[in-house]
Amino acid sequence: MENRTENSRALDELDVKVLLVKLIGEVHILNQKVDSMVEFGGKMLKAQEEFLQRTTKQEHTNETFKLEPDMVTLFSLPSALRKTVMALYKLGEATAEDLARETKRLRAVESSAANQLVRMGFLSKRREGRNVYFFIE
Amino acid sequence: MREKIIAIHSSRGGTGKTTIATNLALTYAREGSNIALLDLDFRAPSLFGVFSEGIKKPVKCWLNDFMLDRCAIGQVLIDVSDKYSLDGKLLIGLANPTIEAIRNMMGRSRAWEVAAAKKLFSMRTSIFNEMHMDCCIFDTSPGIQYSSINGVVSSDLTVIVTTLDSLDVEGVKNMLVEFYDEFEKKSVILMNKVFPQTRMWSDNERNGLITKMQRVFKRPIIGVIPCYCDVLEANRDSPLIAEKPGHPFLKDLQEVCKKLENS
Repeated sequence: MENRTENSRALDELDVKVLLVKLIGEVHILNQKVDSMVEFGGKMLKAQEEFLQRTTKQEHTNETFKLEPDMVTLFSLPSALRKTVMALYKLGEATAEDLARETKRLRAVESSAANQLVRMGFLSKRREGRNVYFFIE
Repeated sequence: MREKIIAIHSSRGGTGKTTIATNLALTYAREGSNIALLDLDFRAPSLFGVFSEGIKKPVKCWLNDFMLDRCAIGQVLIDVSDKYSLDGKLLIGLANPTIEAIRNMMGRSRAWEVAAAKKLFSMRTSIFNEMHMDCCIFDTSPGIQYSSINGVVSSDLTVIVTTLDSLDVEGVKNMLVEFYDEFEKKSVILMNKVFPQTRMWSDNERNGLITKMQRVFKRPIIGVIPCYCDVLEANRDSPLIAEKPGHPFLKDLQEVCKKLENS
């Protein structure tokens, strides 16, 4: 009778030990999962931040943000700017001086209009020596 | 006529643009000028039908191919001078009338429309300097759409064809204010299919109508062509000038030709 009680106590102790080992194992696995989730969340956050930085930059940088100066879009432009775009369609590529000759307006007016159109994303410009050439991309 | 691009435009369809463009081109070419006639109506091409008897088929290069950067304008233009015994040259550029081609030209991107406009502007050098044409006539699509706007803005002068239908008159008035004035485009009005009794009118009566319509449109009226039933009923698979050379419609058009040369 006494022997049986001792055996049963030993078995109980063994069960508790096994259970504890199993529990520790589960906790370890859970811990690893939480770690990988935190790592993934961090990566996502970083990607989102990078995307936001990129798009915000695009909105404010004309070099990357372009608009098409198609004829229907030109309807919505002020006539002073439309005239410059139309002259560029005719000339292909032109300096402010060439534009002024075509539109019969002052060079300063054309330079200002063309640069505004570049800032708005409708035109592009390139420098060649002392000359700046405006063009429709 | 020296190096001029004339666009034939209207606010709505059915005003007689193609008949005017075709016979205008043939009249100039008969008088010895070198003319290029281009069908810019990619949604409802018609020059292919009008000149079907005068061209070799199949057509190798369409105007669509030029616009899509698949060939040069020189490959598109077909010489039909011999067919119509002309003193000058008549080269025609046809728009592809197949449904597939029409579908292909519809719904193109804005970037493509910019490239198409640039192509029409740059085409001037080839037409006048390389092919030595005296005049280029665009038969455009009606109303405000990309192909017609691109054609009108790249031309030197636009002939707006209108009838006396109130919808046409209102349409032209709006178009003049909202499009032509905005783009500072030079334009004249040609009144076509005007009621038949104007044929019997005295010069005073005719001039009275012209003065009245000039006030309405605030543009010069370069001609008033009465409605001729036989022109409306004529077979459209060859130009009127080839079928009925002495027709009064063509005499009216000759007057228009003279006025256009001075416009």
